[in-house]
Amino acid sequence: MNLNNFFDHKLLELGQWVEALFNDIPSLKIAVHILLCTLPLVLSFMGAFAFSTWLERKGLARIQNRPGPNRVGIFGLLQPVADGIKMLFKEDIVPDRSDKLFHFLAPVLLMMPAMVGIGFLPLGDGLNSLPFDSAILFFFAVGSMNTIAVFMAGWSSRNKYSLLGGMRAVAQMISYEIPLVLSAVTVIMIAGSLNGQEIVASQQLSGWIGSGNIIQEFFGQILGWHIFKPWGFAGFIFFFIAALAEANRSPFDLPEADSEIIAGHLTEYSGFKYAIFFIAEYISAFAISGIAVTLFLGGWSGPLLSGLPWFIIKLFSLFAVMIWIRGTLPRLRVDQLMGYAWKFLMPLAIINIFIAGLYYFAEQQWGTMIALAGGWVFGFGALQLAAMGLSRLNKSPLLKEKRVYQFAE
Amino acid sequence: MSIAFFILAAIAILGAVMAISLRNVIHAVFSVLMFFSALAGLFLLLLAEFIAAVQVLVYIGSVGILMLFAIMLTTKVMGDSTRTVLSRGSVWGGLAVGALLIGVLLPFLSKPQVAPDSLLADYNPSVQELGLVLMDPYFASVAVIALLLTAGLIGAVVAASSASETNEP
Repeated sequence: MNLNNFFDHKLLELGQWVEALFNDIPSLKIAVHILLCTLPLVLSFMGAFAFSTWLERKGLARIQNRPGPNRVGIFGLLQPVADGIKMLFKEDIVPDRSDKLFHFLAPVLLMMPAMVGIGFLPLGDGLNSLPFDSAILFFFAVGSMNTIAVFMAGWSSRNKYSLLGGMRAVAQMISYEIPLVLSAVTVIMIAGSLNGQEIVASQQLSGWIGSGNIIQEFFGQILGWHIFKPWGFAGFIFFFIAALAEANRSPFDLPEADSEIIAGHLTEYSGFKYAIFFIAEYISAFAISGIAVTLFLGGWSGPLLSGLPWFIIKLFSLFAVMIWIRGTLPRLRVDQLMGYAWKFLMPLAIINIFIAGLYYFAEQQWGTMIALAGGWVFGFGALQLAAMGLSRLNKSPLLKEKRVYQFAE
Repeated sequence: MSIAFFILAAIAILGAVMAISLRNVIHAVFSVLMFFSALAGLFLLLLAEFIAAVQVLVYIGSVGILMLFAIMLTTKVMGDSTRTVLSRGSVWGGLAVGALLIGVLLPFLSKPQVAPDSLLADYNPSVQELGLVLMDPYFASVAVIALLLTAGLIGAVVAASSASETNEP
């Protein structure tokens, strides 16, 4: 029995069945269609958020050699529910001299791009809430609205730490958006489309999948992923680093660095508004991991059970890597952060675009095998050389005198 | 579709009016951003996906942030709330702008309306089409603009680096 895309097609059929119930009333049918496109997405990602907070706390606890949440439910699995109830009943404190309207609007505005962003992800074969032709571009466009919301939160709180956190967030998000988009450009160039489904289709070896041979069908769903190509591998690493910064995840969590500026733009938020910030942050982390999965890790394609299950597996694996990084790496300094984006990541991403272009023409000229071999040897060699040269160029000059700290002593 | 148009148009007009009437500069910037997002929605209604995405990316993501940065460099965020905005000059200015707008729109308003469905039948907007149009007949102008932007970028870097050298104690 062929289980490929089984769940996707069943879900689509279920949706069509529900819609068909309202065939007599066309206006209601549209409303039902809109609800079917949005509600399951919102609910399932809320569930994923709840699960991922538990996962993160457990994972960090494992890294730090302590048990983590283990009181509520089995393995502490009901901890997110307890947290949610606690957050709901907490007092909502608004600073007296804050900008009341913007203080209220900021979490709402942060939630919006996160929720719209997940709509662009191709979750499975035909499972797309917003099947836009330029979905990838739209995703990045909507993602840039995050910056505004974070700035709003920082500014409206009327608190020095909040404003500092907001400014840091704006600087960081704008800087890292450039390597993020530049490393995604390679995939768009090769796939020749901004449509998520077409990008996934470009990562499946369609000749192998339709061949009937079991082994070829198995590997046809894997070997076409862009991460197995030289430019794709480099691009994925650049993309993931920039995505960590875009989602304000560690080691780039400077905007809310608690040892330096209390909690950045979250300082003056309490109760459920704080919870909404938390939710929006996790969901945008999910959304950006989902785009990374779509662009580089083959989207929903995978052996035996391609479709939604594989997408979920890949999404949570990327999230697990984020947790792992958070438990392992120390936070960056502000100047290191900006320098890394502008002086190191961006030039390498631009060079990677050229490598992808050369690969494209080499593949057309001499076939895939030679292009792959040449790409891995020469393309990666060029990237390695560029990285070495850049790190030499960026070395800070040796200080002649001993550094004097004005305020630390 | 027309309901969505009227909602978006109302938001756009509200944002534009608030942008010029609010006394707090940050509030004014956010109402400009509201106007921009309503405009992106209007582009979406016209099936111009790519333009809508670029509208959000460039105007909300970049121009808005640029304006906020410019405001952060100033010390006074609140304007003078006692002074009234309306004076006789603004009335005449508003009338003149309105007359100009109607003068521009009049030829199109007097024409009979084209049924949208017949236009939509063979209209298939895609980014690929746009790219082909931009890169084939207008390639020279796109290349010139790219060169100009690069020159501007390098100029900005040069200006910034020389300024920091002179400012050093």
